[in-house]
Amino acid sequence: MVETVLEVHNLVKDYGSFRAVDNLSFSLPKGKIVGFLGPNGAGKTTTIQILLGITSATSGKISYFGKDFIKNRSDCLQRINFSSAFNDLLGRITVYENLVVFAHLYGLKNPKKKIYELLDHFEITSIAHIKYLDLSTGQKTRVNFAKALINDPEILLMDEPTASLDPDIADKTLSMIEDLKKSRELSILYTSHNMDEITRICDEVIILDHGRIVAQDTPLGLTKMIPTAQVRLTFDNTKKVVEEYLDKHEFTYEFESAHSVLIDTEEKLIPKLIFGISKTDIWITDIDVIKSSLEDVFLHIARRKKT
Amino acid sequence: MKYLRIKAILLQESFLSFRSLEIIMDLVFFPIMSIIVFGFLSIYLSGFNNFSIGRGVLLGMLLWQVIWIVQYSVALGSLWNIWSRNLSNLFVTPLTVREYIFAQAFSGILKMFIIFLGSSVVCFYFFNFNILDIGIANLAIVILNLMLFGFALGLVILGLIFRFGTRIQAFAWGILPFFQPITAAFYPVSVLPPFLQNVAYTLPPTYVFEATRGILNGLPMDMHQMSTALLLNIFYLTLAIISFDYNFKKSKESGQFARNEG
Repeated sequence: MVETVLEVHNLVKDYGSFRAVDNLSFSLPKGKIVGFLGPNGAGKTTTIQILLGITSATSGKISYFGKDFIKNRSDCLQRINFSSAFNDLLGRITVYENLVVFAHLYGLKNPKKKIYELLDHFEITSIAHIKYLDLSTGQKTRVNFAKALINDPEILLMDEPTASLDPDIADKTLSMIEDLKKSRELSILYTSHNMDEITRICDEVIILDHGRIVAQDTPLGLTKMIPTAQVRLTFDNTKKVVEEYLDKHEFTYEFESAHSVLIDTEEKLIPKLIFGISKTDIWITDIDVIKSSLEDVFLHIARRKKT
Repeated sequence: MKYLRIKAILLQESFLSFRSLEIIMDLVFFPIMSIIVFGFLSIYLSGFNNFSIGRGVLLGMLLWQVIWIVQYSVALGSLWNIWSRNLSNLFVTPLTVREYIFAQAFSGILKMFIIFLGSSVVCFYFFNFNILDIGIANLAIVILNLMLFGFALGLVILGLIFRFGTRIQAFAWGILPFFQPITAAFYPVSVLPPFLQNVAYTLPPTYVFEATRGILNGLPMDMHQMSTALLLNIFYLTLAIISFDYNFKKSKESGQFARNEG
């Protein structure tokens, strides 16, 4: 049985008459990355803030490692950490000084050793005595990761850690998160509105909208919520031959050019379609299968809600 | 309360204090310059008018710094973290708000002692005024009372900053001057209009300044005034704690505490 490190039951957060988090229940299994996906205002950040104790919930229960968070705040926070693109460290003091403060906050016995271990791990030892304010964005990201690991957390809560990073640094950041998960068996709760990121690193995805869970599954499982796919065929024949075949078999399609057509079909019918076409006189030069992405799932859910 | 977590905040305060020109200007340069200005004013007043009035003015400035530094430290320490978007980082650790406030108060007291000592030395060497003339035990009671008032005021402002964010950050350095004329730091309360005298006697520093000026005029320490100040301080400190707790709770309910990021 998979060990659960975080359990959330019926979490509600109201700001006056506005409900930001609506009866949220989920769990975080040990060693897994669970992604919170949703548009701005979906309640992702508010949920993270409640899970960290810096915003109070209207109702609901949070347990870390089987312990009630409200009653055991310090014990729980000792075993978790947090990283966000929206937070920084003190700019006027050096990287080392910032990390020394956090090492003491977590009660580390040998702060210097731990800090240099982390600086080594992230290859930033050379900037230890530089003021945080003077670092590049990439260096700041690494320092923030060092801070987030200073207490050897068992759970890491990450609020859009790649927001405002350029694509190269964002990619390196994601690689670091993947490495951390593997090397430390970290459990990570990861919020983002970037579908590609979530697909890449998460074991399970929770889609939030207006504070509610509207879908929850593995990234692959979620994409299967939309059974249709598209097949792009490129061919050498005249358009008419292809058109006749597709009409005869009642496919929905759209010609993109004289030698390219986009066919809508159910994912399970794709082999049959290709096999069928191969038995005709149509000379296929290229086949491209376009499956649904998490973005399609999200849009599908959002549109279904509206209708 | 855990020693290491309090030490962490004290370390942060010390790193920041040595690296921020603003803090050095606010807590070292301006107080020393004020002492120099008031020192010359005291010489002027002593020469042309009355020796004790001149000394009273300098004494008022020296003691006023006790309130200023403690209040400033408690209220402003959190603003540095807010401006750097670091406040949430601190409070997602096992640090409790009680530990944080204790550390800020302790840091304020340490800074106050260092600066008070420096200012006292300037007074002694350049303006022939020895604060120890009022007696060490008396000075201890005076400083305790003024520190308590500065701490209570700082705590109220800190709670307001947590609740309303940087919109009201000017209170951190702008509220205290409001109390300077009312508490009669540099002149007897009798100078104030009658209605303001009534207001003045609701504030602990008024009793402290009155009693201390009395010592300079050769009177014994008025323990009745000092105990009134102490009782008022306990009353105000209780109100300040209740006010801080309420504002802190409200800031977490409204989400403002998490949004306090510059």
